[in-house]
Amino acid sequence: MTERKIELEVLRYRPEQDAEPWFQTYTVPCPEEWVVLDALNYVKDEIDRTLSYRWSCHMFVCGSCGMVIDGEPKLACKAFLRDYGDKIRVEPLANFPIERDLVIVMDDFMEKLESVKPYLIPKEEKSLDEGSYLQTPAQLKAYKQYSMCINCMLCYSACPQYGLAPEFIGPAALALAHRYNMDSRDVGRKAREDTVASHEGIWECSFVGACSEVCPKSVDPAGAIQQVKFSSAIDYFTSWLPGGGSR
Amino acid sequence: MSRKPYQRELPKTTWFLRHARYKKYMLHEISAIAVAVYLLILIVGLFRLAQGPDAWAGWLAFVTSPLGLVIHLIVFGLSLVHTTAWFKAVPQAMRIQRGEQFVPGPTIVGAHYVVWAAVSVFVLILAGVA
Amino acid sequence: MDTVTTDIAVVGAGGAGLRAAIAAAEADPAVSVLLVSKVYPMRSHTCAAEGGAAAVAKSDDSLEYHFNDTVTGADWLADQDAVELFVNEIPRELTLLEHWGCPWSREDAGEVAVRPFGGMKIKRTWYAADKTGFHMLHTLFQTSLKYPSIKRLDEHFCVDLLVDDGRCHGLTAMEVRTGRMKMIKAKAVIIASGGAGRIFAFTTNGAIKTGDGMAMAYRAGVPLKDMEFVQYHPTGLPGSGILLTEGCRGEGGYLLNKDNYRYLQDYNLGPAEDKPRLKAMELGPRDRLSQAFYHESQKGRTVETKWGDVVYLDMRHLGEKLIDERLPLVRDLARSYVNADPVTDLVPVRPVVHYMMGGIHTDINAATTIDGLYAAGECACVTINGANRLGSNSLGELLVFGARAGRFAVEHVKSVKAPGDIIEKQAADSEGRVKALFRRPKSGERVAAMRNALTLSMEDGCGIYRTEETIRSTCNTITDLRARFQDLALEDHSNVFNTDLYQALELGCMIEVAHTVAQSALERKESRGAHQRLDYEARDDATYLKHSMAYYNPNGDPRIDYADVVITKSQPAARVYGGSAA
Repeated sequence: MTERKIELEVLRYRPEQDAEPWFQTYTVPCPEEWVVLDALNYVKDEIDRTLSYRWSCHMFVCGSCGMVIDGEPKLACKAFLRDYGDKIRVEPLANFPIERDLVIVMDDFMEKLESVKPYLIPKEEKSLDEGSYLQTPAQLKAYKQYSMCINCMLCYSACPQYGLAPEFIGPAALALAHRYNMDSRDVGRKAREDTVASHEGIWECSFVGACSEVCPKSVDPAGAIQQVKFSSAIDYFTSWLPGGGSR
Repeated sequence: MSRKPYQRELPKTTWFLRHARYKKYMLHEISAIAVAVYLLILIVGLFRLAQGPDAWAGWLAFVTSPLGLVIHLIVFGLSLVHTTAWFKAVPQAMRIQRGEQFVPGPTIVGAHYVVWAAVSVFVLILAGVA
Repeated sequence: MDTVTTDIAVVGAGGAGLRAAIAAAEADPAVSVLLVSKVYPMRSHTCAAEGGAAAVAKSDDSLEYHFNDTVTGADWLADQDAVELFVNEIPRELTLLEHWGCPWSREDAGEVAVRPFGGMKIKRTWYAADKTGFHMLHTLFQTSLKYPSIKRLDEHFCVDLLVDDGRCHGLTAMEVRTGRMKMIKAKAVIIASGGAGRIFAFTTNGAIKTGDGMAMAYRAGVPLKDMEFVQYHPTGLPGSGILLTEGCRGEGGYLLNKDNYRYLQDYNLGPAEDKPRLKAMELGPRDRLSQAFYHESQKGRTVETKWGDVVYLDMRHLGEKLIDERLPLVRDLARSYVNADPVTDLVPVRPVVHYMMGGIHTDINAATTIDGLYAAGECACVTINGANRLGSNSLGELLVFGARAGRFAVEHVKSVKAPGDIIEKQAADSEGRVKALFRRPKSGERVAAMRNALTLSMEDGCGIYRTEETIRSTCNTITDLRARFQDLALEDHSNVFNTDLYQALELGCMIEVAHTVAQSALERKESRGAHQRLDYEARDDATYLKHSMAYYNPNGDPRIDYADVVITKSQPAARVYGGSAA
């Protein structure tokens, strides 16, 4: 039996040699259970040691191997060759600078993630002797979905708003802020609002919804952002009511 | 020799041509214009009504003319696009938790369609059509 | 070479490293902490841990039970003072994680829920569905952002420790995106770099788990302890080696052979009952389950597939609701990778290398034999795991001993004088070593070919069952590979994100770590826990109730020495599981 072969068109960019990116084609085998990441590992080990990309867990959870595969942002470990044709185009995530080959520069993402105070801000510090907070399964469910983000940045790659306005804090970071806002143990919504409800925050989002469509963990950042918009708008209007707070 | 990150720009005006989902998004956005156009036609109609029977008859003649019907059809089509797109997105923006579970998306969307149909019927009754 | 100065440098930013950094920052905000990792923190392999973390939480449980389960599971090779400390401290650590926002699964009234795991008398595993490690890692990383004294060097590959006169003064690291070497001067260094499962061909471990930190300490003279004990997890997906959590069995899944028979009842683990029974059948310890697979395979009662022999994990009776609620990742992985939906299908599984019980020798305070050098997490060996780690003790271990490493490092920092000049020379030597590798010609021994030779040989010679002959053959392969490493080819000569060089550095570490595993296995002529010798089938407490200590020898095999096991209240006895287990 001759094994099926496919062509992998990989975007190459070697900053010390290339003025701009170009495509290199590799011919690789295509076993039934292989994903694009396996094909890249085959290239790296058997054909071309100079190809660079990030990967680690191979099980959809470390978030390292986000790439654009046939025009769609995907985890390379979750893109099965069997679902593609005989030619697969592999590019680095869009909207980020290319460091080299399939490796993008993610400094901007890390800064944005850190900017939204993504940690629990409790009403008051609870001592360990008091034990755990009570949190019902319903309260857990209220934020659980937004805690599933693996920071793979597929959503930033899909988001035209981030591409056009790079100051936009972006889907994953805003969804993470929402995750803590929705946590019954947290009272930090106000503290996060300066960043989250700013122009660079939720109001930059025009609800294209692409982030949620490409999310490999069904986090639905677009939904999270619309919910934050709604509660921020309510905050704004109630602040004008008699006794309505800070304005 | 060292780093030289390659920055790719997203074309400011043609970016949405790159993927079907962006084209769809632009269609949703543009469909809002159709809604605005129809509002404009109605407002003009009101003005014409205020100007007297002749003006009103002229306006009526225009909206029932072949051109008027074509405009109506286009506007109606785009309004449908607009409405269905936003209805589809409602469950994302509005989550309702009952006990542990969230009310399923189709239920929320369905409720919107029911209300839409009821309002439409009410308006048609008011207009004496039904 | 750039110089970076910090009070404490932490190598690795996974669970143990982050916990250590936070503990240090809380102990003294004036002490500067630098997390240095070859990947971004959230890529660390802690994220792949699925099942949970054990801590006594319920009134029917006790610290003594947790102690006994752990010591028995370890086949009495754990240090009992360390285990006692561990079981005492872990409930507070998990509670702390809860205070930081970790989304632990809950009971109806809002209490933290627990599930059973293998080898446990009472169920005590805290879990966050089947992504416990992922949630712990992200909670720790996000919490670490609160502390201004914690800084990071992401994507920096740590190369060598700088040690002068028995004292650690820092390390060297290569910035991956520029290829530049940096000297990191530190008053204390904490290694929290994870395990080395990648020295085996078939493993649940991610690509990054190549034993770099273990090798770094080992080359600097710290012994690697109990390296022969390598845990095979009973349920990995064939082909890819992807982990299906022990939680599958904790929730009630069965293991079936090709005749749909729950074969574990033939290995002193019965009776086979419908409901999960603690410490019996599928909830036996991992070493026993993996060994039972081997025997089934010998008897021809496993199923042959293109990926080798498999048995089946049957979760169909658990129902879709429970599976989606508690094992959603398992369902996703099984459907994607082996086209089997646990709700309706049997899922093929086979034992797979999962965890290194051994590691950098530390005392109960996470301190190594070098002053100012600490280690915690999978790379370290305290040891609470002995010859076989109980499922759900590793996530706890990285918290308890990570935190201790952080606190004791802070204490140490306060008493330290400035480093001597000799470390500048050492740093220059380290840079020279990396540059020499970088300048290797394009022709010669290929990294990938050598890595394959190593990992396949480890699988053959140091697998679930070992003999003198198989281990010797692996030792010979490793000796050969050490020589061939001198003729390594490097095909990529660019400075920016050079993963050829990165993998070459990893390969060097893998070979050294594998060498300690094989040599320690060769010299332990008994069977205990995860180290099973077909030529020495019995446990031999008279000779080998000892920790093996592998010392680096640049020109030959590691020197193996032995150290006493700390026994306080539990004398070695027979390990009994199944119906007659206590």
